[in-house]
Amino acid sequence: MAKKRDEDQKDRQRQDEKAVSRRDFVKAGAAAGVGAAVLTTSGTALAQVSPTNAIRWNYEADVVIIGAGCTGLPAAIRARDLGASVIVVDQNFDPGGKMLHSGGQISLGGGDPLQLRDIAGEGDKEGFVTAPRQHAVAELTEDPDFLFRDHTDWSVMDAAAQAPYRYNERDLHRAYADNCYATREFLMANYVRMGRISGTHGNGGMSRARRAVTFFMEGPTTDVKKGTVSKQDAGIAGKSSSHFAPRFMEDGSMVASKGARVNGAALARPLEFSAREKGVQFILNRHMDEIIREQQFSGRVVGIRASYSPRLDTQTGVRLESLWQNGNVDDRTETIYIRARKAIIIGAGGHGANPQFRSMFYPAWREPAFVSSGWALLGPRGQDASGIIAGMRVGANLAGMQQNLSYASTFHFPGNLATRDPYTDMLPGHPTFSMRGSTGINLANDSFQHLIVVNQVGKRFFNEMLVTTRQGGANFPAGPNKGQPRKGLDHVQLDWRNASVENIRSTYAEPNSIHAALAMNEGSKAPDFLSGPIWAIFDRAAVERDKWNIEPPFTSPTNGFFFSAATIEELAAKILKGHEFQRVPLTYLKETVAKWNSYVDKGSDPEFARGTDAPMHRIDTPPFYAATLYPVWHDSYGGLRINGRAQVVDMQGEPIPGLYAGGESSGGGNQHGLGRALVHGYIAGTNAAKEGT
Amino acid sequence: MASDNEELEVVGAETPHTADVVAWDVPSAIAAGERFRIKVGIKCAHECDLTNGDVAVFDHKGARIATGTLPGDLWPGTTGLYVAEIELEAPSVHGLYTWTVKGPGSSVGVPHAEGSVSFGVRVVSQPDHLVTIETVDHVNQVPLSGARVVMHPYRAVTDERGRAELRVAKGAYTLFVSQTRYLTLGLPVEVDADMSTRAELDLEPVIERN
Repeated sequence: MAKKRDEDQKDRQRQDEKAVSRRDFVKAGAAAGVGAAVLTTSGTALAQVSPTNAIRWNYEADVVIIGAGCTGLPAAIRARDLGASVIVVDQNFDPGGKMLHSGGQISLGGGDPLQLRDIAGEGDKEGFVTAPRQHAVAELTEDPDFLFRDHTDWSVMDAAAQAPYRYNERDLHRAYADNCYATREFLMANYVRMGRISGTHGNGGMSRARRAVTFFMEGPTTDVKKGTVSKQDAGIAGKSSSHFAPRFMEDGSMVASKGARVNGAALARPLEFSAREKGVQFILNRHMDEIIREQQFSGRVVGIRASYSPRLDTQTGVRLESLWQNGNVDDRTETIYIRARKAIIIGAGGHGANPQFRSMFYPAWREPAFVSSGWALLGPRGQDASGIIAGMRVGANLAGMQQNLSYASTFHFPGNLATRDPYTDMLPGHPTFSMRGSTGINLANDSFQHLIVVNQVGKRFFNEMLVTTRQGGANFPAGPNKGQPRKGLDHVQLDWRNASVENIRSTYAEPNSIHAALAMNEGSKAPDFLSGPIWAIFDRAAVERDKWNIEPPFTSPTNGFFFSAATIEELAAKILKGHEFQRVPLTYLKETVAKWNSYVDKGSDPEFARGTDAPMHRIDTPPFYAATLYPVWHDSYGGLRINGRAQVVDMQGEPIPGLYAGGESSGGGNQHGLGRALVHGYIAGTNAAKEGT
Repeated sequence: MASDNEELEVVGAETPHTADVVAWDVPSAIAAGERFRIKVGIKCAHECDLTNGDVAVFDHKGARIATGTLPGDLWPGTTGLYVAEIELEAPSVHGLYTWTVKGPGSSVGVPHAEGSVSFGVRVVSQPDHLVTIETVDHVNQVPLSGARVVMHPYRAVTDERGRAELRVAKGAYTLFVSQTRYLTLGLPVEVDADMSTRAELDLEPVIERN
């Protein structure tokens, strides 16, 4: 068992050089490249005199990173590349965070290497990218100054009359624009393959195309170095996903070539692979509970306290294990302390799964029934705002808290019935599927013509054809459907006409249906007046008419998110008995269905104006079904204020020495997707490694 | 007879069981005076055997216009839903009527409170015109079978050639054509003669998750 006391810098560098080749064991059964970080065994008396009254540090490293996701992994690799020893702590059993279940779409820009590759009409060195470029040269041509203006444009209003760029932190976005090139290059140097530039992400800028999606080529085996993924690991359509890729990897032939499979697994797994290869150490199943600073509101941050947070299979009770093990430190002690010699980087994700925290933006979201995307993948402690809260406890300021309101998928209805997390369409095959229980019945918008949607007392509240509709996401090529008077290259940055009353009047298109869903109703009780669950009600005829698959794994007979019954009365009783968050009877359900059927007979819906946008269908053929239609809090905006160096800034506007943050743990940026977090991670890793000890 | 149900014992012999009634397969448009059939189902909350239970249909004036007996058939996918088919005759004057099904009353062993459900009967004049709709995929022009064609209250489903025919009364309608995974087409039409139209449907965009 290797134990190492604190060593001088020279020794650390020597250890670092050996990091890749050495494979000592820290704990029985868990391999770890010890050289990268100076480790002690948890529970031993290797005490250091800390300014916070003799904390016994169980582990230490130059850079301690909280969260192995979209900020943490690039930060870890970057810090290792610059010679720092790195420990990454993650509350989950497997690295990747939300990035692992993402679409793998990365908008950068400012003249990044992929924009230049497409401008030149070139492919990649491996010959995987042979699809023609999707944009004209002019749509790809820009520089960091142009990107910076795009990301801080006060004038842009989206179709929900929100201003997604106006409130972005200027210093942060200057640094973002200046580091996009290096970040794209960094990704490619760490086994990440990306296809052609195709449009831009929501709130990724109005004026140029900047998005590329990550891919693997389907091959006989999964081999990150070769860039291949097996068919099994990539997922079988409608049947299975895998531990490697929690969501089915989609066809990527349009952006790369035939056989390409795309999504976030093609980003998260390469970064994880590279981090492990370079000697980053992972302490998984470990939730950060506290950041320790010399004094609560002054001095450097010196380390963290973290508690054991194993994930267990909900059926067998067996602990879940990471896909790859090299570099793992398997420590099952309840509480450990980890010292950070140089810096701590918070990449712990956002606050989307913390009902108390998120309710500061919207009281209705104190409803605990509703979860954040990736709920099963990340477990009950994912996206719990712990990174933000820990930063606040040592004096950090916040930024961009109101920007949760400026992106359409922050909270929304994905239209996936019969599952608690409607965003993540996970199929069986991933170890966390047992927690989820059902993939969900994923309906396109037009399929809502076959059902009605009711609140917790069984009353309709909106035109069902509009329930899942949402507006927002002002991004290239934009145009009137995104709230802007001009489209594509015709968009004019910083032009007052973009924000004119006339433009907003003519482009506003937000139905606000989700707010009707979250509204108080007769079942809401003081003090929180929660909306309660939301139910889609339909019948056998709907299932047959629109060819829905309501069998497992799309639904579960036991997880309480799907019910069938011979009559509406029986259905209401089953929901009350079987759904965890159904706190009151669906008193009005029978009356609501009868009323709906009378509207169908009349051909019009006097309550919510259905019948003008789609045909109406009676709900009368048994068996009857109820499936949850849950909203999801997908991505969160607002968090720790960071500056352009990704340093966390305190209430006096000063950086907290040694403390960095990025991604959804940070605020002040309203860009959707992975680009923001990756750049933050790259910047944080760079600057953290350069800190003094 | 009652099933072995714990709740039943608590309820006691004198308390009538609750029975819920369902009615379906009612044609959306029925020509005046035409005979038609509907399905009726009754379920006891305690899942009693309702074989031979009585079913009665009452018209919009409350007059009993038909009766039937549950033959003992259970509806697939349910437990305890006893089903009968009942033949009815539409009124002679066009309009929308609300009729009611009731049952099973005291016709089965254990007393049951009578349940009921209402349903609409849309009586139409004899159709004047034939509307023919041909439905295809907009991009590849392949016929779409199984598409729903609705001109309220008239409904049809396209055949393997993508064709559907509706016999409708003269008048103004919204013609809807909808098909799984396609965007619904809605089209105002004025029918004053036989007519045919072609519906070219676009696939619904795939929901992007990122």
